[in-house]
Amino acid sequence: MADVISPTTPEQLRDAIGWALGSKTPLEIIGSGSKREFGHAVASDHVLDLSKLTGVLFYEPEELVMSVRAGTSLAEIQGLLREKNQQFHFEPGNFPGLLADGVVDHAGTIGGLIATNLSGPRRIKVGAARDHILGFEAISGRAEDFKSGGRVMKNVTGFDLSKLMSGSFGTLGVMHTITMKVMPRDEKTRTVLIACDDPKAAGRAMTDAMGSENEVSGAAWIASADVAKLGVSVATEMGSGIVALRVEGPAPSVAWRCEALRKLLADIGASEELHSTNSEAFWAAVADVAPFAGGSGLLWRVSVPPASGGDVAATLAAETGGAIMMDWAGAQIWLRLPGADVADAMVDKTRQIALAADGRAVLVRAPVDIRNRISVFQSEDAALARINAKIRANFDPAAILNPGRMMPSISGGEGA
Amino acid sequence: MLRMPEPDQSTLARRKDIIAAMRNIVPADGGVIVDEDQLRPYECDGLMAYRQLPMIVVLPENTGQVAAILKYCHIHKIRVVPRGAGTGLSGGALPMADAITIGMMKFNRVLDIDWDNRAVVVQPGVTNLGITRAVEHKGFYYAPDPSSQIACSIGGNIAENSGGVHSLKYGLTTNNVLGVEMVTIEGEVLRVGGKGLDQSGYDLLGVITGSEGLLGIVTEVTVRILRKPETARALLLGFNSSEAGGDCVAKIIADGIIPGGLEMMDAPAIKATEDFVHAGYPLDVEALLLVELDGPKVEVDYLIEQVGAIATQCGAVYSRISESEEERLLFWSGRKNAFPAIGRISPDYMCMDGTIPRRRLAEVLTGMQVLSQRHGLRVANVFHAGDGNLHPLIMFDANQPGDLERAEAFGADILKLCVEVGGVLSGEHGIGVEKRDLMPEMFTEDDMKHQERLKLAFDEDELLNPGKVFPTLHGCGELKTLHARGVADKFPNIPRF
Repeated sequence: MADVISPTTPEQLRDAIGWALGSKTPLEIIGSGSKREFGHAVASDHVLDLSKLTGVLFYEPEELVMSVRAGTSLAEIQGLLREKNQQFHFEPGNFPGLLADGVVDHAGTIGGLIATNLSGPRRIKVGAARDHILGFEAISGRAEDFKSGGRVMKNVTGFDLSKLMSGSFGTLGVMHTITMKVMPRDEKTRTVLIACDDPKAAGRAMTDAMGSENEVSGAAWIASADVAKLGVSVATEMGSGIVALRVEGPAPSVAWRCEALRKLLADIGASEELHSTNSEAFWAAVADVAPFAGGSGLLWRVSVPPASGGDVAATLAAETGGAIMMDWAGAQIWLRLPGADVADAMVDKTRQIALAADGRAVLVRAPVDIRNRISVFQSEDAALARINAKIRANFDPAAILNPGRMMPSISGGEGA
Repeated sequence: MLRMPEPDQSTLARRKDIIAAMRNIVPADGGVIVDEDQLRPYECDGLMAYRQLPMIVVLPENTGQVAAILKYCHIHKIRVVPRGAGTGLSGGALPMADAITIGMMKFNRVLDIDWDNRAVVVQPGVTNLGITRAVEHKGFYYAPDPSSQIACSIGGNIAENSGGVHSLKYGLTTNNVLGVEMVTIEGEVLRVGGKGLDQSGYDLLGVITGSEGLLGIVTEVTVRILRKPETARALLLGFNSSEAGGDCVAKIIADGIIPGGLEMMDAPAIKATEDFVHAGYPLDVEALLLVELDGPKVEVDYLIEQVGAIATQCGAVYSRISESEEERLLFWSGRKNAFPAIGRISPDYMCMDGTIPRRRLAEVLTGMQVLSQRHGLRVANVFHAGDGNLHPLIMFDANQPGDLERAEAFGADILKLCVEVGGVLSGEHGIGVEKRDLMPEMFTEDDMKHQERLKLAFDEDELLNPGKVFPTLHGCGELKTLHARGVADKFPNIPRF
C-alpha cells in the first residue's frame, strides 16, 4: 500500500518535496487521481496527493480572472463560474470518464487539468488550456518556490513558464496555485447538424465551415453508430452520421450564422438545428468523448493538421478496423480499437498514419501492462528530446517528480 | 545606469578571424558588415536611448547559414545578438561590442499559404502586416496587430510575444502561432509545432514565444490566419473621470461583451492627438473610450446598441457611433497616432508598458500624477483598457542634462506602482535591457533562477543575447548545483494516510 502524503498548505508541499529530495524518494503526484491512468505508470511507493490543497484565493468576474489552489476540484470551480455566467473558454470535458474501467463521476482538479493541458471542442477557436493560464506558483524538484506570469491578461515579463508547466504532467514542478483567465458565456448557442456518413466528406465540410466568416466554435463528426450515445434525440433521429457545427454569440448573430452555414453546406446532406439546451448538451457530450467513454477498448487520440482529418480518419478506420470520431474540425481524431489486446503492428500502423500526415498519436486508454511496454506519447525527434531532457534535469535534477510519467526520454531513462 | 556584460577581450582580438569565417559562411555581397559607418544603423533598436556599435553584423539568407554561424559562435564562444526589423521598444536587439548581430531581414519570403488549414508559413523577416497583405485578397488576416505592424517582423513578434489593440478578443502572438523552425546555439535545427494543434513533450513553442532571442534564432514561422470579420464599427465615449471610464469598461465585459478593441486615453493624450490629427475627439472630457465591435453586421449592430446603453448608464457625457468605414478609421487615427502626437509636443518621450488589474486604473492614474509632480515631468496615458495594458508616455528633453535620468526614474516608479497593485512590468514590449533591472520587483532570485534554467537547456554558455531580460546571469555551475537549503532530512509534519 502506497504511502499518501497530503499537504494542506504550500509550505507543507515544499517540505514534502524537500523530504523526497533529501531521501531520494520518487513521488507520484496526483490531484484527485482522476487521470492517473493517462500516461505511463509511475514507479513509486509514495503518492503526493494535492487534493487537500484547495480553495479559491480570488475570483473577480469583471476582471475575467480566478486564482485557486491547485487541488481545487473542477466541479467546484465550474459551479462558481456558472453562478456568474462565465466559463473556462477552452471547455474541458470529463476526461476521466474516458479512462479504463473505473467509473469516474468527476472531472478532477484544476492542477490535473493544467498538468495534462486537456481542452474541449472550442479549442479550435479559442485555444487550449495553456492559452488560458495567466500564472502559477509551484515547488520545483529542487524543493524551491518559483512562479511565473501573474493575474493580468497581457504579460510578457520574463519567460512564459506557465506554458511550460501546461502539459508537463508534474515532471518539472508541483503547482500549488494557479491563476486562470475566464470568459463570459455567450448569450446563445446553436448547432447545425448535417447528415454525413463519409468521414472524408465530413472533413471537407468542416474545413469549408471553418474557412467561412461564421466563427464556428465547434466542429465535429460523429459516426452513425455513435450518435445515440451523445444523448440528444434530435441528432439520433437523423439516422445517420453527422457533421456538427456550433456558433455562439448574441441571438441575432447566431441565427444569421446558422442560416449561412446551412446554405454553405446544403449539398452535403439534410440539416437540423440544435438550440440552447440541446446544443449545450451535445457539445458537453463531445467534450466528454461520450461515444467512447467508459469502455475498455484501446483509445487513441490522433492529432493532425485539421484539413487532413477526414482523410486520416478514413485511413485509420480502414487500416485498424477501429471506430472513429473527429473533433477540432478534424485536428483531433479519436480512434477506439476493439478489445484490449494490441498487436505491436497496430501501434506502429497508427503512429505511421499519424506521422505521414505530420501528426502524432497518443494512447489515451490502455491497460497498464501495455502502457508500460510501449510509449504512450509520440516521441519527439532526437534534437527536441535532448532539449526536453535537459529542461527536466534542470528543474528536477534528482528525478523525484513523477519519474517515467511522460516518456523515457524525458524522465531521463529511469524506466516507465 | 545600464550595465552590460564586459566585452570579452579575447573575442575582440579575434575579430579578423571571425570576419573571415563569417564571409566564408555568408559569401553574398554585403552579407557581412564590418565598417563603422555601415554598422551605425544597427547601433540601436526602437529604444534609442541606448546605443552600442556591434562587433560585426551578419545577414544570413537561409537556415543552413544561420546554423553554420551559430555553430561557429558556439565552438568559439562568441556572443550573438539576434535582430529582426529593429522596431522593438525594450532594447532586446541592443548590440554588444563583442557580439555578432545576426540580422534576419533577408528571410523575407512567404513560403506557403494553406487556406484549408488556415495557416501561413513565412520566413521570420516578413513583416506582421506582410502576412495580412498576402492573404487579404481572400478575406483573411493575421490577428495580432502591434502598432509597428507595417515595419516589425514576425520573427521579432515571436521574440517579444507582441500584442496589439485586438488582443483581448484575438490573443497575443503566442495564441496565434502554430509552429516555428528554430536554430539552437549549437547549430541544431529544431522544428516545433506545425499545422496541427498539439506538440509532443513540453510546450517549447509556448516558451520560445516571448523568449527575447535568448533561446535560439527562429528561421521559419507558421501562424494561423482568420477570416476577416464581415464588418466593424466603433464608438467614441467620453467621461468626466477615469473612474467612470473604467467602470464602463468593467460593465461592458461583465455583460459578456468582448469587444475587438477597447482603448482608453486620458485628457493630455486626447488633447495631443486631437491637435495633431483632428479626429474630432471631445476636448472637455477626462477619459475617452474607443470601443470597436467586429463580426457579422447583424451582431455588430446589435452590440453597438448594447454598449451605447451601458455607456449611458455609466454616465458617458459624449457618445458617437461610426456610421461609415471612413468614420471608424477616423476614430482610430487619433489613437494610432498618439505616440507621434506626443512627439510633437515634447522633444522626447519614453513609452512605458505596464499591465494592471483594470479595477485599479483610477488609483494608478492618480498615483502617476503624484509621480509626475515629484519628477517634474509630464505624462500622457493611452491604455489598452480591455486587457489592462497601460502605455504612459513620459515627456522629456534629452538635451536637458539630467532629463533622461529623471524620465527613467519616473518610468521605473510607474512600473513599480503597476507591480504593487498586482500588475506586471511589461504587457507587450518585453523586458530587454529597458526593464531588466526591475525584474526583482516582480520575481525572487529563485523565480529568476528557474527561468534561467530553461535558458540553460538551450544555451548553456549563455551566448545568446546576454545582458537582456535577467539583471544578473547566474553561472551554469550555480544554476545546476542542487542546494541543500530546501532539503529536509526527516519527514516533515504533513498529514499522511
